[in-house]
Amino acid sequence: MKLNITVNNKPTTVEVDPNMPLLWVIRDEVKLKGTKFGCGKALCGACSMHVDGELVRSCSYPAQLAEGKKITTIEGLSPDEAHLHSVQQAWMDIQVPQCGYCQPGFMMAAAKLLEEKPNPTEDDIKNSITNICRCGTHPRIIKAIQKAAILKQQGQFKS
Amino acid sequence: MSTENNTPKKKFSRRKFLTRAGIGLAGTAALLYFGRSPIRRKISGFTAEMDLPSGIMNFDAGMWFEVNADNTITLKSPKVEMGQGIFTGFAMLAAEELDVALDKIQVVHATTLNGAADLAGTGGSSTTTSLYKNIREVAATLRETLKLAASKIWNVDPSVIATKEGVLSTGDKSMTYAALAKQTTDWTAAKTPALRPESGFKYVGTEQKRQDLQDKVMAKPIYGIDTDLPNMVYGAVLYSPYIGGTLKKVDTTEAQKTAGTIGVFAYEDWVGVVAHSRYAAEMAVEKIHAEWDYPTKYAMKDVVDTITVGKGNEVNVQKHGDTEGVLDEKGSHFLQSEYRTPLGAHAGMEPSITVADVVGDKATIYTSFQMTNKIQGEVASAVDLSTKNVEVRTAYLGGGFGRRAMKHNAVEAAKLSKAVGKPVHLLYTRQQEFQNGYFRPNTHHVLRGQLDGNAKLVAMKHELATADMVLWGLSPVAMTVLGADFISAGHGSHIPYAISNRKATMWQCDLPIKTGIWRGVGMFANTFAVECFMDEMAHKAGKDALEFRINHCDDSELLKRRKAVLNMLGEKAGWGSAKAEGIGRGIAVGEDRKTISAAMAEVKIVDGQIKVVKVTQIIDAGKIVNPDGVRQQVEGATMMAMSAALFEEVQIEDSQVVQTNFHNYQVAKLIDAPQIEVIMHEGTIKPLGVGEPPMSPVAPAIANAIFDLTKKRLRFLPLQKALDEFDEK
Repeated sequence: MKLNITVNNKPTTVEVDPNMPLLWVIRDEVKLKGTKFGCGKALCGACSMHVDGELVRSCSYPAQLAEGKKITTIEGLSPDEAHLHSVQQAWMDIQVPQCGYCQPGFMMAAAKLLEEKPNPTEDDIKNSITNICRCGTHPRIIKAIQKAAILKQQGQFKS
Repeated sequence: MSTENNTPKKKFSRRKFLTRAGIGLAGTAALLYFGRSPIRRKISGFTAEMDLPSGIMNFDAGMWFEVNADNTITLKSPKVEMGQGIFTGFAMLAAEELDVALDKIQVVHATTLNGAADLAGTGGSSTTTSLYKNIREVAATLRETLKLAASKIWNVDPSVIATKEGVLSTGDKSMTYAALAKQTTDWTAAKTPALRPESGFKYVGTEQKRQDLQDKVMAKPIYGIDTDLPNMVYGAVLYSPYIGGTLKKVDTTEAQKTAGTIGVFAYEDWVGVVAHSRYAAEMAVEKIHAEWDYPTKYAMKDVVDTITVGKGNEVNVQKHGDTEGVLDEKGSHFLQSEYRTPLGAHAGMEPSITVADVVGDKATIYTSFQMTNKIQGEVASAVDLSTKNVEVRTAYLGGGFGRRAMKHNAVEAAKLSKAVGKPVHLLYTRQQEFQNGYFRPNTHHVLRGQLDGNAKLVAMKHELATADMVLWGLSPVAMTVLGADFISAGHGSHIPYAISNRKATMWQCDLPIKTGIWRGVGMFANTFAVECFMDEMAHKAGKDALEFRINHCDDSELLKRRKAVLNMLGEKAGWGSAKAEGIGRGIAVGEDRKTISAAMAEVKIVDGQIKVVKVTQIIDAGKIVNPDGVRQQVEGATMMAMSAALFEEVQIEDSQVVQTNFHNYQVAKLIDAPQIEVIMHEGTIKPLGVGEPPMSPVAPAIANAIFDLTKKRLRFLPLQKALDEFDEK
């Protein structure tokens, strides 16, 4: 099918199988590699992106469901590298990543959480984000989300 | 010293390959000599404490560095970055001798053609410790080589040339490193100078942000999976779902006809599809009708029973005094306990990945792997190329943990690329990552201890049964010669305390499934058994667990450092302080290639579920290069070890691995994360390993804390299952 989507504010049309997972559309057709494959069954969250503002695990989201929708991937989270989204700034400040592979998914989940709960408690964070990290960055992810909440409230960051 | 990172440097390669052949022969000869059984035990003691070699023989500055046109320096690392932070450490070490600012040094992965060969691969927590001196020396040699070249241009003695911030100067002349590199074609390598004193370090020991931090936060395409070449197509492979399965019958008619399919290719034990998209390739794989031959129907019971003390081949690991003579099984000062640990998976987040581009008599392999050298040889023989015509380019790894050292999919990718004449992107599915990789072997431990009348151990014996972790990957004759894998699977099985009569033996058993290295190798299971048993003995002796351990440390170097770390645990972790209601506290200490790591765990139990509230780790990994790098590794090891201790287990049913994805292989998530405090102690002047050692004390500290809280001794992993079964009885 001809799939019309808006990716990080850019209208895009690609020819794909209607059932191709949105993850592969974005990575292999649109050529944005930041979103990662982890499990293929929506269990680990490495492929998280925002589709019309909803947090979606794109490895299990058929392309046809995205028709006409607005997609934000990790590449579109910050306006540019000089103006980081509060989550990405906090990830830098706390130095979260080790191997770094699962982090785009965590950052997309964290950005969504902060939209819904601008001031999440540690329990809120632990209960709402179920992504998987194997390097063991969990304690820093929790700290970074709390820091991002503060940065966001200080209004230094646009989104 | 050209300005391009990826330019193959042919003039170096002949020498490099000669070096490699020499090592292979010497290695085999050494195995045959040292493998004679009377001295096996001596080697096993030696391997436990030896400094792992880097595996790198070539320290020509030209193989390590490029001077770039913008006056930055590129360091081509033969070791791979999988999250452990070594690139940042390398830049810090090089900066000490190069006289350029730290942010002017970028570290990249060397390819097999443009950098020094690494015969050992990346692992064993050995990178920083084994190259601590070499990196500075090769950087210093580059600096002196630059001076030598400048001295010819200026017609002065090199000794009057100073270097600072990337600029060479005499009193009246100056020139950047880049300007010098641009006009120099004929380099004369300088002699390696004496290193600058460590007391003058500018960077080592200071807090530095990871060099890869921004790329990782901005999600740049830096991993193997992100490789995207012109005309690239996608592969998918069907492997046997059965252990040891080979293809009996296959029908690919339907798969050939699936939309987007370019070709379907059947081999002895796998069938590959190449298609225009990954989705098309995966759809075609589902249309393959295959029947498999496989040797026996293995069940979980076979795997557990096979690994049992008394079965297999026994090799002595440690013998001191007359342990059997002193153990008095009928007396009241004697205790015996048995422990078990299960098969474990690595489950790193980036599955095995290769993009292979085989064109004519050359192949380029893009991957994320801990042992590029291994891929180079295996691909060469699989697609009939000369090794020197196979270039392996490693990207950042999305996790390593030992999974990317022994088995890869580069051979499949190369064969498929050769078959279709295009670059092929091939990825393991998550199910294949669980079923077709390899596992941490399960273990069985029998421990016996004898106290005297004064609460002191007078004899202790540890018998370990387990399977091979590393020998199949080293050499076909290694198991025959050594008799047991005491290098990896037996690592940490010795009794590390000053007990007059102590003995450790290892029963080497054969499992039908592939087992291999896993973060911390045997030390994870062995420390669980030994340190839980120390807790049992302390309890039997009526002694405090910390005091009991300290009482069994003498003034030998490692035990002196162990004692210091334990004392710090007592002072700084609050071992003796009052506990909150419902909290249990346990300690354990491990040692891995001279790094000492002690942990105190605090746990509670909520609705039958074990919750680890806090882990305090005290680590003596010697001199620290980058403190926050060490903290990250200790936190990470704590989480991974806790996850393995509480939840993780691979099961076998009908000759298949039961686990297919994260729904039936539970790993720790944010909700399970305890507070983790890391306290560093620099007990030696040299840096030691950090990535694996702090794995060792976590599982026993948690089990000991559960005993403290509940008086239930959980003697097998995963602990949540052990607690559930304990409560059912």
